[in-house]
Amino acid sequence: MSEPFSLIDAWAGYGDGTAVSAEADTIRRSVSAVIESVHESVWLFGLRGEAVSEVLSVAAKHSQARWDGEGAEPVSVLAIDRAIAFIRALPRSIPVPEIAAEPDGSISLDWIDSRSRVLSISIGVSDRLAFAWVDGTDQGHAVARFDGERIPPLILERIRETMGNASVRAA
Amino acid sequence: MLPSGLPEIVADDEALARLLTSSSHFNATTVKPSAFLPNPKAGMTTSVFRHDAGNLIQLARDRRPDVTVHGAAICKAAAVRSAKLDVIAEEPPPLHANIVGWPVNEADLVLQKAAQKERALVITSKCKLVLF
Repeated sequence: MSEPFSLIDAWAGYGDGTAVSAEADTIRRSVSAVIESVHESVWLFGLRGEAVSEVLSVAAKHSQARWDGEGAEPVSVLAIDRAIAFIRALPRSIPVPEIAAEPDGSISLDWIDSRSRVLSISIGVSDRLAFAWVDGTDQGHAVARFDGERIPPLILERIRETMGNASVRAA
Repeated sequence: MLPSGLPEIVADDEALARLLTSSSHFNATTVKPSAFLPNPKAGMTTSVFRHDAGNLIQLARDRRPDVTVHGAAICKAAAVRSAKLDVIAEEPPPLHANIVGWPVNEADLVLQKAAQKERALVITSKCKLVLF
């Protein structure tokens, strides 16, 4: 098996950052941008990409009415779009959620540390998100607005509390 | 006494099985709250069977031949009642019951959903997952 290519190693070849020529500085800045871009790509197409794929897979499996045999609605296109936007807006430090279909056509994003420590968010056709949590004997529910770009701080705080020091799920 | 021979009142220590018809409703160890959310088109109830973890495959074949059943979430009726909900026998089919009493808030359906989700989480925190 070949060694994985590392941009960090490539970066080392450009010295310790004390070069004085304008060309060296330009190259250094270019390599920095590439490294940042690669890191972003790994996140986008690795961890978050996996979660986005899961949203699409769950939506495909629940695209027919009565998928549960009891009258469930098909997952709505708007819910798919909003769920993907939500996942893409997650900060890198936040683990990616598990995905589920709900009987009203919404998509559920779930952060599960254990069965008694869970945060669950419903993403439907509204920009208001229903969410609830259980954390041992503590439990609750609330609603927060998601503008498509910025995760509501209350939800971020809840995810962090639920997952504690859980590591980011591997791609 | 019901046609199945079960008492009309579901006792707190009775086991309930929620058949899992979506593979997205569980992971390797845990049942997700989506599995218990009520169906708005079924009178805002959640369908369960008064059945323990034994011979669930036969239960699924008999009662839900129309869909793929991946497993079941098993809990006691007391777990449902601890979520401020109730379990009411409703036969036929035999052994069938409904989880009822889900919060309703017609003025704010999103808030209604959040409240229902909290109740579902309380139930799933006390459920055992049985996969086929």
